[in-house]
Amino acid sequence: MNDKSALEELPGELLMWILILSEVLVFGAGLIVFLSVRVTDPEGFAQAQDMLNRTGAGINTIILITSGFLAASACRLRRAHQRKKARLALVGAALLGGAFLWIKGAEFAAKSAAGIVWDTHPFFNFYFLLTGFHAAHVVAGVFLLLLVAWRDHQNNMEDATAFWHMVDLVWVLLFPVIYLLQ
Amino acid sequence: MTQRSLYIAWAVLVALSIGSTILSVSGIWTRWPIVAGMAVLVLAWQKARIILLQYLGLAEAPSWRWGIEFALALLCLLLLGLYLLPLIL
Repeated sequence: MNDKSALEELPGELLMWILILSEVLVFGAGLIVFLSVRVTDPEGFAQAQDMLNRTGAGINTIILITSGFLAASACRLRRAHQRKKARLALVGAALLGGAFLWIKGAEFAAKSAAGIVWDTHPFFNFYFLLTGFHAAHVVAGVFLLLLVAWRDHQNNMEDATAFWHMVDLVWVLLFPVIYLLQ
Repeated sequence: MTQRSLYIAWAVLVALSIGSTILSVSGIWTRWPIVAGMAVLVLAWQKARIILLQYLGLAEAPSWRWGIEFALALLCLLLLGLYLLPLIL
């Protein structure tokens, strides 16, 4: 018989889960509004979306997923008291986060060079808002990963990596809706 | 959670991401946009489930798993409905 309470069963801190679910709901609401506005102008949205680099975004998805894998591995290694390997995995995860930001920055710069700004079309309102807000979370996540690689208390590491997985989770929902659904 | 299960989760996530990217550059959208849209959203739903269950460890918390999975499924269904709306109107 399982005598664990529901709260004890939850992996990590309850507050971290409240943050994770709140963030998913905020981005989910953004995507719902995005697709609702798209109903009014599907052709315009499709033309605007064609200006995005889908392959680049696909590569960024694999980078973020691999970074999440390293972060999850770091937690497992830390629990096994392999602190040096855990720290290396966290630094690797942070570097991949940096690579994601570099590609995202290049994507924004290419849009800017092509004269595409946030008010070029309603599609780009959402594109810059949602992916820019997500990129801000990536910046925060990279900082947290490096912080817990330095101060590697197990609980702190689990909280920071949970935040990083939330960033990953949000991206796997943003990527298909913004870049792929035609 | 074992390292093996993490490797499997990562490999499946990479395969699903490559699958959805290939779908996006294929000609399927002009012929069967409904099928393509449904496939892309199902792949995204599965990726989100794997991150929740394996990376975030929800697989080991059955009391929470079903509620959160249900909410995620509802969100994906809503996104699918909104995507399909202009196609069926």
